[in-house]
Amino acid sequence: MNEATSGTFAVLGLYSDAQKIVDAANKIRPRKLGRLEAYTPYPVHGLDRAIGLAPSRLGALVLGMGMLGTTLALLFEWWTSAVDYPLVTGGKPLFSWQAFVPVMFEVTVLFATFTAGLAMLFVFNKLPFFGHPVLHAKAIKDITRDKLALSIENAGPAFDSEVARQALIDNGAESVEIVPVPVWNPAFTLVGLLQTIGAIVAACVVAGVGIYAVQKVLPIVPPMLHMHNQPKLNAFRSSTFFPDGRGMRPAVSGTVARGHLPPAFATPEEAGDMLGNPLPLTQQTAERGRKVFSDHCAVCHGAVGDGMALLSRAYGAKPGNLLSNEVREHSDGFIYGVIVLGKNAMPSYAPDLDDSDRWAAVHYVRVLQRAQNAKDEDLR
Amino acid sequence: MSAETSRSPRTRNILIALTLVGAAGAAGVYVSAGPERFWANWLVWTLFLLTLGLGNLFLVALERLVGAHWSVPMRRVPERIASLLVLAIPLLLVAFLALPVLFPWTRPEATQNPILVAKAPWLNLPFFAIRLVACAVVWLLFYSFYVRGSLRQDESKDPNFTARARRLAPPFMVVFFFSVTIVAFDWISGLEPEWYSDMFGVYLFAGTFLSGIAAMLSGVLALKRRGRLPDVQSKHYYNLGTLGLAFTVFYSYIGFAQYMLIWYANLPEEVVWFKHRIEGDWQPVALLLPLLNFLVPFFLLVGGQAKKSPRILRLAALSLLLGHFVDLYWLIFPVLGTEPLFGWPELAMACLFLGLGLLQVRRAMGRGADMPVGDPLLVKGLEWQL
Repeated sequence: MNEATSGTFAVLGLYSDAQKIVDAANKIRPRKLGRLEAYTPYPVHGLDRAIGLAPSRLGALVLGMGMLGTTLALLFEWWTSAVDYPLVTGGKPLFSWQAFVPVMFEVTVLFATFTAGLAMLFVFNKLPFFGHPVLHAKAIKDITRDKLALSIENAGPAFDSEVARQALIDNGAESVEIVPVPVWNPAFTLVGLLQTIGAIVAACVVAGVGIYAVQKVLPIVPPMLHMHNQPKLNAFRSSTFFPDGRGMRPAVSGTVARGHLPPAFATPEEAGDMLGNPLPLTQQTAERGRKVFSDHCAVCHGAVGDGMALLSRAYGAKPGNLLSNEVREHSDGFIYGVIVLGKNAMPSYAPDLDDSDRWAAVHYVRVLQRAQNAKDEDLR
Repeated sequence: MSAETSRSPRTRNILIALTLVGAAGAAGVYVSAGPERFWANWLVWTLFLLTLGLGNLFLVALERLVGAHWSVPMRRVPERIASLLVLAIPLLLVAFLALPVLFPWTRPEATQNPILVAKAPWLNLPFFAIRLVACAVVWLLFYSFYVRGSLRQDESKDPNFTARARRLAPPFMVVFFFSVTIVAFDWISGLEPEWYSDMFGVYLFAGTFLSGIAAMLSGVLALKRRGRLPDVQSKHYYNLGTLGLAFTVFYSYIGFAQYMLIWYANLPEEVVWFKHRIEGDWQPVALLLPLLNFLVPFFLLVGGQAKKSPRILRLAALSLLLGHFVDLYWLIFPVLGTEPLFGWPELAMACLFLGLGLLQVRRAMGRGADMPVGDPLLVKGLEWQL
């Protein structure tokens, strides 16, 4: 290695006493001979100030990025929950900041820790950095064992290695070494690193495209037998098997599904004239009626049948009050007819409830009416 | 040393006058504003003094537990502030008289409430009294061991005391956490016994620790300003500031976690407790809590240089102490009604208890050397580097 061509990286002065190196640094710093740096086998108190190291800006950066994380998380949650896909959860407002705080906290911590780690390594410690020139100095073995080194680094044309050497000797350095700028193996440079990363990325792209092609474009050997690819008829899918092109079979004309006889009446009034409740009113049928009522009816008509329920409050609809005089005077058959045919905004419940369920619900409506209009003898 | 000049009898006379004015005012409060308001004030201030004392006793024991060196030169301050326990424990025993006034579970109609009947094995007078006395005895025993022992070590220079203090720290921690939880459940959430919150004990602990650090910081800086702690340097209170910063976050975390879980679950018997405290006239008081206990101290203390500046540390400590008072006020006063009551009765009671507390701490500040000169770790603490 020729010093004339590669130049001087730094001049190292070796000390064996922590106080001496701090004093020397304090004396040399005002002369501005070059950038001061120190290499020590253990932390020396006060040395960071003596070599003129400014307080790290990492803390401010971490705070700023952490608060950026808080803000971004809040904006993101506000946008997803209140703007892009508004969904009421548990009756709470769309913008429920309470629920956002845990995510805001976590994103703050994420941004702050990543900033701390990555900024420390890549901004302040200037990675990637392949081997420090001082590692090639003869003194490195001493520095990592028991000697402390003060280094005046070449920081521009004003640097003179002879002046720096003399300054170190004058300030009590036990020995002085001039460290040349090393000649790097081209593989260990930024270009070499970028080439390596580029090669890895290229290999990943080639492998990914290849696997995708084998799976999708060239289905010579399917990697596994997909269960949904079976030679069978699927509901709601077309099929070439039947002449009408449908996979599903329509019911044969003139037949009726079990338990779903079509009604013989066209209006609830007709049903009221034609039908009476075939189920006896027993504890058992009333309990069954309660189950049917609370599963299907209570959501609109309310748990006691007064037409006041959560859904009607939320949407402003006015479901019928089953306790009104009008409904109390209707016959069982009329109520049955409404269940089968629907009324006003109420749809038909015939597909959901079989015949005995509907009659049980009618019984339960009667139970509710009696409970809400109890007479003295009912209470005895 | 200027130790004598900092202890002018004038300050003492002012404090005594303040206490006497407060005592006269307190009698007026009982007569004209009613026993409810009197006892609510009594409870807030007694718990304020008690938690400051407990928090500082905890800081003393924490130093022993972890074997810290940096805090040894400042340890006399928390030891002296812990003497608030000697004042606060009798005040808490007197607060027993507040039970029939403020605590619904002591009233005869409690037997008609299924929740209170289910909680009766815990919330009954004999067991309550046993818990109160047991806590008081244990606190005084540990106070006597740690604080008087440390004063005795000034003379004897006995290194065995340091070892013994360290051995007793783990049992103290267990007792401390149990007793703080008991105080929180008995004296604060017992005011609304239909409420459930398992983490309320941790919440009070967080407030205790945080205000304890704030009180210790103010004490250290006050002595330092009077030139009585010349060897305590910025590196020492830098660490104390760091602890304060960490625990503002801990306190806020616990406080928010309790709020969010209850808000999320939306159970009527739990939610109503917060509903009374964050809606209507109480909302501004509730908003003061995150401001005084988190935002102000956090952003004051977060910078590296800030924790070396006595002015900023004093501001942060003031904010935290004020925040702790507002916290207790916000926990206790809503049982009196939907408006935050704050007027001459609160000011009179504040004069009484602040006067008593400051007199007690001031008296303790004169006892023994300003640094634990008998502790073998003191030299390490003084030489300790950031």
